Amino acid sequence: MNDELTELGELTITRIFEARPEVVFECMTTPAHLTHFWGPIGMSTPLERITVEPRPGGRFETVMVNDATGDEYPVNGVFVEFDPPRTLSFTEAGVEGGMTTKIVFKDLGDGRTETVTHQSNVPPMLMSPEAQAGLESSFVKFDAYLASF
Amino acid sequence: MANDPLSLTFAALADPTRRTILARLAEGEATVNEIAEPFDISLQAVSKHLKVLAAAGLISRGREAQYRPCHFEPARLEAATDWIARSRAVWTERFDQLEQHIKQLANDTEREKEV
Repeated sequence: MNDELTELGELTITRIFEARPEVVFECMTTPAHLTHFWGPIGMSTPLERITVEPRPGGRFETVMVNDATGDEYPVNGVFVEFDPPRTLSFTEAGVEGGMTTKIVFKDLGDGRTETVTHQSNVPPMLMSPEAQAGLESSFVKFDAYLASF
Repeated sequence: MANDPLSLTFAALADPTRRTILARLAEGEATVNEIAEPFDISLQAVSKHLKVLAAAGLISRGREAQYRPCHFEPARLEAATDWIARSRAVWTERFDQLEQHIKQLANDTEREKEV
């Protein structure tokens, strides 16, 4: 496992799974599978509260329920890319100014799959080419700066 | 345009000049003139950057009319880095559980073969 902070406001997580890309992609996009693992520790995602419309523009909605308190955390995403078993991306408009998650499934050729999950909440207004260039040029040094105070 | 606190923070930080200003203020408070010194830009331009940083809650301005020194306010920056930490934790736990789920699937398939 290899986590890194690539740029401020962005997160990349790389994982290797002991299954072919078709299986991993299906797990990530099928309610009957999602209900087993989608909620992080201490949270459940009931099967009947998962909506997957498997196409670009389709809904990707889950409700995570806190096992201890019953508090509910709905996540209302929309698929941007739905390209099995290679690429999956979705946006959540309501989350902290708009969050995009992209998962690339790479066939390692030995029955395993590497997934690279990239999550960012860079607001759309920053997505102009100039802003992109600015973001890419100097966020790299930012973690060192963060350590300085 | 998104104007929730986190978006404002990231927008303010998207500009290299503003990050340099912030790094300077992290060392201690400074006046607009002091902040502008190392830059080859007008005081007016620096003031604009300071306005954006203030709107994002990353700095505060003193009240003394003449100098109005700027202070670094770390809380918003911490909120931004918290987001990254929270997000990483969620995905790490989620993928740990997916790993277990995939193992379970493989076991089930094995058992079906035996039957």
